[in-house]
Amino acid sequence: MLQLKDVRKVHEGKARVVALDGVSLSIGEGEMVAVMGPSGSGKSTLLNLMGGLDVPTSGTLLVAGADLASKSEEERSLFRRTHVSYVFQAYHLMPTLSAALNVELPLHLAGRPAAEARERALKTLAEVGLSGRTTHLPDELSGGERQRVAIARALVTGAPLLLADEPTGNLDTAKGEEILQLLKSIHEARGTTIVMVTHDPHAAAACERVVKLRDGRVVEDSRG
Amino acid sequence: MKFLLQTLSLSYVRRHRAKTFLTLLGVVVGVATYVAVVGARGSLLGGIRETVDRMAGKAQLQLTQEGGVPEELQEAIRERPGIRAQAPVIEQVVVPERDELGSLLVLGVDLLGDREMRDYGFEGEDADLDDPLLFLAQADSVAVARPLAERAGLKVGDVLVLKLPAGPRSVTIRGLLTPKGFAEAFGGNLVVMDVYAAQELFGRGRRFDRLEVRLEEGVTLDAATATLRAVVPPNVKVETPDRRSGQMEKLVANFAAGFDVTSGFALGLGAFLIYNAFSVAVNRRRRDIGTLRALGATPRQVQALFLLEALALGLAGSILGVLAGVGLTRAALDVMRQGAEQVYGVTASSEARLTFPLVLQGLALGLLASLAGALAPSRAAAAVSPTEAFAKGVHQAGGVWSWRRVASGAALLAVTVAFGVRPPVSGMAMILSIVALGAFSALLVVGPVSHRLLAFGAPLVARLFPVAGRLASDALLSSPRRSAGTVTAMTLALTFAVGIGGYIEATTATLVRWMRDILTSDIYVRASANFARPDYRFAPEVKDDLLAVPGVRSVESYRAPRLEYRGETIVLASIEMEAMLDRTRHDWVEGSEEIARREVGRGGSCTVSDNFARKFDLGVGDVVELPGARGTVRLPIAAVVKDYTSDRGTVFVDRRTFLAAFEDDRVDVFDVNLAAGADAGKVRDAIRTKLQGRMPALVSTKREFVADVEKAIDAFYALMQVTLVLALAVGVLGIVTSLLISVVERTREIGLLKALGALGGQIRSSVALEALALSAAAFLLSLPLGTLLALFVEKTVAVAFAGWSLPHETPWLLLGQLLVALPFLSAVSAWVPARQAARTPVTEALEYE
Repeated sequence: MLQLKDVRKVHEGKARVVALDGVSLSIGEGEMVAVMGPSGSGKSTLLNLMGGLDVPTSGTLLVAGADLASKSEEERSLFRRTHVSYVFQAYHLMPTLSAALNVELPLHLAGRPAAEARERALKTLAEVGLSGRTTHLPDELSGGERQRVAIARALVTGAPLLLADEPTGNLDTAKGEEILQLLKSIHEARGTTIVMVTHDPHAAAACERVVKLRDGRVVEDSRG
Repeated sequence: MKFLLQTLSLSYVRRHRAKTFLTLLGVVVGVATYVAVVGARGSLLGGIRETVDRMAGKAQLQLTQEGGVPEELQEAIRERPGIRAQAPVIEQVVVPERDELGSLLVLGVDLLGDREMRDYGFEGEDADLDDPLLFLAQADSVAVARPLAERAGLKVGDVLVLKLPAGPRSVTIRGLLTPKGFAEAFGGNLVVMDVYAAQELFGRGRRFDRLEVRLEEGVTLDAATATLRAVVPPNVKVETPDRRSGQMEKLVANFAAGFDVTSGFALGLGAFLIYNAFSVAVNRRRRDIGTLRALGATPRQVQALFLLEALALGLAGSILGVLAGVGLTRAALDVMRQGAEQVYGVTASSEARLTFPLVLQGLALGLLASLAGALAPSRAAAAVSPTEAFAKGVHQAGGVWSWRRVASGAALLAVTVAFGVRPPVSGMAMILSIVALGAFSALLVVGPVSHRLLAFGAPLVARLFPVAGRLASDALLSSPRRSAGTVTAMTLALTFAVGIGGYIEATTATLVRWMRDILTSDIYVRASANFARPDYRFAPEVKDDLLAVPGVRSVESYRAPRLEYRGETIVLASIEMEAMLDRTRHDWVEGSEEIARREVGRGGSCTVSDNFARKFDLGVGDVVELPGARGTVRLPIAAVVKDYTSDRGTVFVDRRTFLAAFEDDRVDVFDVNLAAGADAGKVRDAIRTKLQGRMPALVSTKREFVADVEKAIDAFYALMQVTLVLALAVGVLGIVTSLLISVVERTREIGLLKALGALGGQIRSSVALEALALSAAAFLLSLPLGTLLALFVEKTVAVAFAGWSLPHETPWLLLGQLLVALPFLSAVSAWVPARQAARTPVTEALEYE
């Protein structure tokens, strides 16, 4: 699913920051991988590159066989619609849209008919255990419920790759555990490839494989 | 996209109602100003043409002469080959005692012969009109258009009182006209009476305003014109109604075109408000944009979303603007019509009409302005990188200082100034292009410079107001783009105010100074309140009556007909030259007072105004040729003098030269000079008593006369001043929008400050100080830019349109007014945002994201 070869990412600004410094990594289809490392180790940058939100300064990055670095911004967006979905630590739900509308959003962006979008959104919300909260605004939901909406939004397109950035970072232990179990069950039921950035060893332990980064380099790659 | 608009965009609007409303208001004001001004201009010019056309009826040629066509001319053209009929006409705009009816156009016609020219369509219980002799037997008989009668609640037999210079006069309605054809002229406010009764009523003597001529079938206009030309004196114009209305339109066209710049400016400011609001919205919605991008939205989709939002806002604003414009058109037309009548003596229907193309134009321009304003922000939105959008902390837009931007703005400004001083081509298009280039270069320069200015002033504000000042400085400097955008909008509005307001002040000061030098007689006796088109002219013998009044030392007779010269309507001013030079002071451009005395006073030459000389490229030694009573009159130019009598140019001759060449001894104004020690008020009253009941006469002392002229000048600039205020209002809207955004953006910060002990009053003061700093920066930046604009209008635009180069004056009065008004406006602008900030609950604010 993901092939990275000698990927470097350098942020040029007032100070030059090397975020990733020659990362080579291969993640197979249907794997659930945790990426760990201290702050500034390059975890989020790695996730952004995998989803085509950013492009490497050098090296090769193939996602589902596609070289994202060679694609235009527009092409990467279109690629994301069908291949990649995201779950963020801060949920990034649209605050004025109901849970159902938030989940429908990527389908509307892809130009799917409204009825189909509504049907798939409700089905996916039921899948994450929120069929009773579809009309609620994010403000009216708990942190765990918000993250479930965000996961439903990630699943609704049926993208084979799910990238999660600290998905339990804003939740208490019990809710965090629920989210982890949900991700795991999705992975098992759908065979979705999941790459999860986390600080939490417990969260990492839920994954089949852990990749550790330090100073922009892979320092450990272990399978549990 | 529909889904995004219905959900994300609408919810953003709902969350920022006040800001959206203000942005909308910017478009509304811009479109309304445009529609009102252009609509009024169109109605004015259309009204002139329509009034002339409708009144002309079946007449194919019209004979006119400055000061009226003598009755004998009828005999001269009677039974000439090709002439089927001729009819005399008198036209007079009057105000009825019942002001609410508006001005009325009284048409004096020969009811026995005029049916060859016009279909009258008399109706109702007016059987006696079938025999017009009965109508004519009573000199106070009039017929009125039916809609006017209905509106006024008048019926046959009722009396209508008209306010005339000689006092109120009653006329009796003895007929009603069907509202079609010529009866619809002047918006239907038409009164018809016998031409000889009109001569008497309006003091025309034995003259008509024009003779109308209808031709035999198959006779060409050229052939008939040649026939008539052969028998009428050279100073009688033979022209088609079309050409006559064209001349009148041309006379007021420049006056009206000046307003296009103003309305364009209001529209531009509306666009800038959209730009400012959308720039901030993009900044504010970065995280949402990032999320959309992460979910697969393409940059083009993001850009389209913002452009569609602008389109929706523009459409709503344009529709409301057009509706508001419809209401404003009437008021704008009234102001324009008064100006045209006062300054040019041109009358037109007072009916405000908005054409469908203008409504479409207003809508299209509103939409275009909105799209233009949103274009750059929408591109910025499309360029938002999702990774940066998700970065922790509030996004701070990059700085606004860029050497490249400032340098290119300064270079463009230099080019604008160069073009402004010496335009490569002439015409309105060039002037508008220079204004647009100047505005664009100001846009480039003002933003970055304003940021430096605010950064420079921030420590001072913080020192003067330790808490509120520091908070305000922080708010201004931490959002450089928002601050720069707001200052730019306000600077443009103030530049416009300082530039155009400065020009108006400079012009007025110049005219007042000139009047002080020229209007030095003690008393002025005139027959009409209208300076440009006197409705009555005095017989020369009145001079003797005036000289006989105790206290009067000398009297000069001023007569100033308007003549056509090389396609322009110029003024030929005649007076006893030497007597006038004895009491006045002139600024001679070429020649001297001595030469004027010798060659104009005694030698039959002329002096010309500097704008006449410039317009027609003439100078001392050249000859002005004008149509006289017995052929072309050749007047050698002896001197050129600075003069502001007419914006089309003025030629001055001695009264003796005028009498000999033009054979017209009537007088427009008597300039009365008193003996030493005579009381002007008492002499004025004595003259009034002497002339009362004999002729219409407005007798004023110098001070009263100058005040009347100043009132006319004010009327001329009234609409421009209204649009100036509108432009300022749009600028203030920009500040309110910016402050509202500032408060929303700083919600968390404000909560934190309150948690740390900041009081509501301190927060409110900081918002008010923010407003004050923004307008102060704008005011400082507008001073040089406004001065450049004023210089451009005074030196280049005025020369192009009127041939005048006006001396620049610093508009101290206006600057003083702005210095007082701006802090007040800032405080008003800050009122709602400040209350909103002070009321923010701490706990909610700290959780605000």
